[in-house]
Amino acid sequence: MTTTSAISLAEVYRFLAHAMQYPERSWFGEDFLSLFCTFLDELGWDADRAALAFPKQLSSKDIELLQVDYTRLFINSVPHVLAPPYGSFYLAGGGILYGASAEKTRNFYREHGFDLALASDIPDSLTNELQFLSFLRELGEENVELEFTRTHFRPWFCKFSTIVQREANTPYYKAVVKMIDFFTMEDE
Amino acid sequence: MALTLTRRKFLQTASLAAASIPLSKVTAGAQPGVVKKSYPAPGSFTGTESKPSVCEMCFWRCQIVGKVRDGRLVKLEGNPKSVDNGKSICARGNAGVQLLYDPDRLKYPLKNIGERGKPVWKRISWEEALDECATRLKAAQKNHGPHSLAIFPHGASAKYPMQFFEMTGTENVSEASFFQCRGIRDMGYVSTFGFAPGENVDMAHAKAMLLIGTHIGENIHVSHVKSYLKGLANGAKLIVVDPRFSAAASKADIWVKIKPGTDTAFMMAIMNYLVVNNKYDKAFVEGSCEGFDAFREGIAHATLEWAAKICDLAVAQIKEVAELLAANAPNVSIHPGRHVSWHGNDFQRMRAHACLTAILGAYAVPGGLIKPSSGIKLGKVGWPKGEHDEEFSLTGSHKFKPPGMPTENIKKAMLEGKPYPIKACVCWGQNPIQTIPGQQATIQALKKMDFVMVVDVMPTDITMYADILLPEGSYLERYDYIKNGLAGWQPGSDTAVGYIAPRMPVVEPMFERRDQVWITNQLAIRMGYGDKIPVQSLPEMMDQMLAPAGLSIAKMQAMGGIHTQPAKAPYAPAGIKEHAFKTDSGKIELYSEVLSDAGFPAVPTFLPVEEVPEGFARLVYGRSPVHTFNRSQNNRWLHHEIPENPLWINEECGKKMGLKTGDRVHCENQDGIRSRTDTVVMLTPGIRRDTVYMAHGYGTMNTAMTVAKDQGVDDTSLISKVVVDPETGAHGMRNNFVRLIKNGKTLNIPS
Ligand code: SF4
Repeated sequence: MTTTSAISLAEVYRFLAHAMQYPERSWFGEDFLSLFCTFLDELGWDADRAALAFPKQLSSKDIELLQVDYTRLFINSVPHVLAPPYGSFYLAGGGILYGASAEKTRNFYREHGFDLALASDIPDSLTNELQFLSFLRELGEENVELEFTRTHFRPWFCKFSTIVQREANTPYYKAVVKMIDFFTMEDE
Repeated sequence: MALTLTRRKFLQTASLAAASIPLSKVTAGAQPGVVKKSYPAPGSFTGTESKPSVCEMCFWRCQIVGKVRDGRLVKLEGNPKSVDNGKSICARGNAGVQLLYDPDRLKYPLKNIGERGKPVWKRISWEEALDECATRLKAAQKNHGPHSLAIFPHGASAKYPMQFFEMTGTENVSEASFFQCRGIRDMGYVSTFGFAPGENVDMAHAKAMLLIGTHIGENIHVSHVKSYLKGLANGAKLIVVDPRFSAAASKADIWVKIKPGTDTAFMMAIMNYLVVNNKYDKAFVEGSCEGFDAFREGIAHATLEWAAKICDLAVAQIKEVAELLAANAPNVSIHPGRHVSWHGNDFQRMRAHACLTAILGAYAVPGGLIKPSSGIKLGKVGWPKGEHDEEFSLTGSHKFKPPGMPTENIKKAMLEGKPYPIKACVCWGQNPIQTIPGQQATIQALKKMDFVMVVDVMPTDITMYADILLPEGSYLERYDYIKNGLAGWQPGSDTAVGYIAPRMPVVEPMFERRDQVWITNQLAIRMGYGDKIPVQSLPEMMDQMLAPAGLSIAKMQAMGGIHTQPAKAPYAPAGIKEHAFKTDSGKIELYSEVLSDAGFPAVPTFLPVEEVPEGFARLVYGRSPVHTFNRSQNNRWLHHEIPENPLWINEECGKKMGLKTGDRVHCENQDGIRSRTDTVVMLTPGIRRDTVYMAHGYGTMNTAMTVAKDQGVDDTSLISKVVVDPETGAHGMRNNFVRLIKNGKTLNIPS
C-alpha cells in the first residue's frame, strides 16, 4: 500500500461509509451522485454507471425506491431482512447482532486508540469499520489497516457483498458494495 | 483501465475533477461512529459489570443481573440478592441475550407503502412517523368519535400508552392477559373473595395441592415452581386434573383424566360431598362466608355419580380426591390457574375454585390462598382519567368483565361498524393474530381500519398489518415495571421479607428504539394533549414511583437492584376463622346476590360444552417451557431446544389411524380450516382419546421472523369457532376440534 496517492484512500473509505448511510434528500443529491458517478467513470465500470440511470433532478419516488431497497436489504423486511450490515451476523456462531466477533472488533479499535462514539452503537457495522479504516489510513498505520481488513473486515464483508449483489433491487447498492469490495481488497 | 485496475493504480491516477464537488466536502458533515479515544492501559479495563434488572421473557418478573462486558450483554443470571427467584432463572430468562441482539428485531420507525398483510417497508424518521400516527388517530376520533379507537396492549410497557388512549376518550381496550387469559379467574375470585388471586397459593407449605389444568413445570415461573417443588419435597399430596399426562401429572398422587370442559361439575361434586358429609370447615364458613344455605341447596344435585358421568371419571376417584382434600384441610392449595379462557363456561369454574377454597377454610393459612404484601408503598403515576360516555360502552351483557372491553364486541365494531364504527387501531406489544380466536375475522377487521399503528420489539404477525410500525426498546434496554413482592415466610412465624426490584436498562437501546413514555408523550403533544403529560421521561416516572418508599433509581442501582425490608407473613393468627372481604356482603360470597341480580347463576353451576363431533378430537393447547410470548418465538437458543410443537395423540387412536410418532401432519378443524404448516406427531397413552394437545404460540406467519416462521402449527389459526364467557365476555378457546391430514389424506380420529 502507499500513502503517496493522488486521491486519499482515507477519504475514499469515508466516502464509502457515507454512501452506505440511509438515503435521504439531505445528502443523496446532485453533488453526491456526481462524485459517485465520477468514481464509476474512473473505475471504468460503465455498466454499473449506465444501470444507475438517475435523472438529473431526483424525484421523491427515486429516493423512495432507494429507501425501500435499503430497508429491505439492511433493516427489516417481509419476507425478511436480507443482509444486515453487521459483521457478527455472518461470522462463526453468528446470526446475531453484536455477537462475540463484534466484541473482538471493538477491542481492536480500543487497542489502536479508538472506540465507539456512542455506547449503544454496534462496533462491527459496515460504516464503523470503514470509518476505522479511514482513520488508520490517515495515521499511516498501514500494517494495522491490513491486519484489520484481513482478520475483521473481509471475512464477513465478502459474504455480505454476495447477498447484496444477488438481492439488491437498485443498481446503486450493487455498485456501492462492489466499490467497497474493490477498495478494501489487498493490493497485489 | 478497468481490467487491470488495482486500488493502488486508481488512487495514483484517477481524477475526480469531473465531479461537481470535492471528495472531502461530501463527507464533511458526517458524524463518525468510531472516534479517537485514549488507549486504555492493559489491566485498567474494569471487566464485566453486573447490571441489575427484572426479566420480561414472561410476566413472572424474576430479578436478574446482566453481565455486560464492554457494552455488550454477554450473560443473564438470577440476581444473587433476590429473595424471590434467587440465583435461578429459566431457559427463557437466559435466552434474553438472543432477543436483545436478534437481527430480525425492529430497529427504526417503518412506514408500510404496500398493503396491509403484504407490507413494503420504508424507514422513516420518528418525526414523520409520529406526525402521521397523530394525524391519522386524531382524524379517526374527529370523524367517528373518541371511542372509535381500539387498543390492543400487552406487557409492562403498554400500560402508560393504554392509559393515554383511554384518556383521549376510548374504553375499547382489549388486553390478551384479561380477555384471552386470566381475566375470568380474577373476576371469578373478585365475585367470591373480593380480590384477584394471582397465583398466590402457598404451595411450599401445603399438605395437598389441587391443580386443575395447571401444568406447572411446562409453564415455568421460577419462584412459583420452586414453591411447588418445595411443597412436594415436604410431602404434599398432589392431585392433577388434566385430560393429558402433563409434567405435573407425572408427579401426582392422583391423576384425574377428566373430560375437557367438565371441571366445574367435578368441583361441584367435591363441594357437595364435603358439605353432605360434614367435611367442610364449619367455623370458617360461619365466620367468613355468606350464603352457605343457598349454596348448599344450589349444588345439592351434584352427586359423585352425577359428576362421574359428566366428567367421564370413576365415582371412587372423585371421592378419593374429596377425602384427600378434606383430610389435609385447611392446608390445601386449590390453585387458581393462570390461563383459564377455555370453554366459555369458565367464570363458573373459577367461582367453583374459589368456593372450594373457602369451604375448606384454605385461606390465610399455610398452604392456602394468601394475599402476600411487601408493605412497601409505591407511588402512582399516570394520565388523568378520561371521560367515557355510558352510551358508547361495549360491555353489553358481560357485567363481570375484567378491565377493558370484551374483545369480540370490539371486533364486531371494527368489522361491522356496530353499534358504532371503530376505525383506527393501536397494537402495543400484543399480537392479536395469535392471541385472539377467529384469526380470519381479526385480519378482516384490521383491513377495515382507516389506520393501524403497531409498536413492538419483534416483527410479529400483527406488524404485517401496520401502516406505521414503531420499534420499542426491549425489557433489557429500558426502565419500567417495579416488582413488589413478599418472600421468606414460614409457618409458625409472623415475619417475612418484603422486596422491590425495578426494571432498569442493562444496556442502552440500539438503533432508534424508544421507550413507551417518550413515544406516548410525543404522540400526546401532536394530538393536543401536551398539557396533560404526567411525566417527562421514564426515569422520572420511576423516581416518582419509588419516592414514597424513600428510594430512587440511583439508590436502587447502588443497592444492586433490590431493596428488602421486614414484612408480615401472609397468615392470619392461628385459629382465626373470621375474616372481612371487599365484597358486597363483606364476606366470601358462596351464594352471590350480585350475580343473581344480574341474571347469572348465583352458585357455581356447570354449563355443558359442545361435544366432540364424530371423526374429530378437541384441540387443547398449553405452554412450552421454552416459549411464552411472541418475544420468545424467534429466539435461536430456545428454538434450538424445542423447534416446533408436537401434536399429542392418544396412542391407540393414532395406531388405528396408521400414525406413528415422528409422522408429520397438518390439522383441519371443524370449519374446514387447515393449518398453514405441519407438525410432528407424538403418540402417547398420556392423553384422552377425545383430545389432542399442542403447545401454544408456534407457526408464526410472518416470514420476517426468520427463525420461527412456519415452525410448528399456529393453534390460534385453528380456533375459528368463537365462544364467549357470558359473565366476563372473555373468550373460550377449547371448543374447536381437529382431525388430521397426512400426505394430503384426511384422517378421522376414531371415537
Ligand atoms: S420465569 Fe423465566 S422467563 Fe419468566 S421472568 Fe423468570 S426467568 Fe424470566
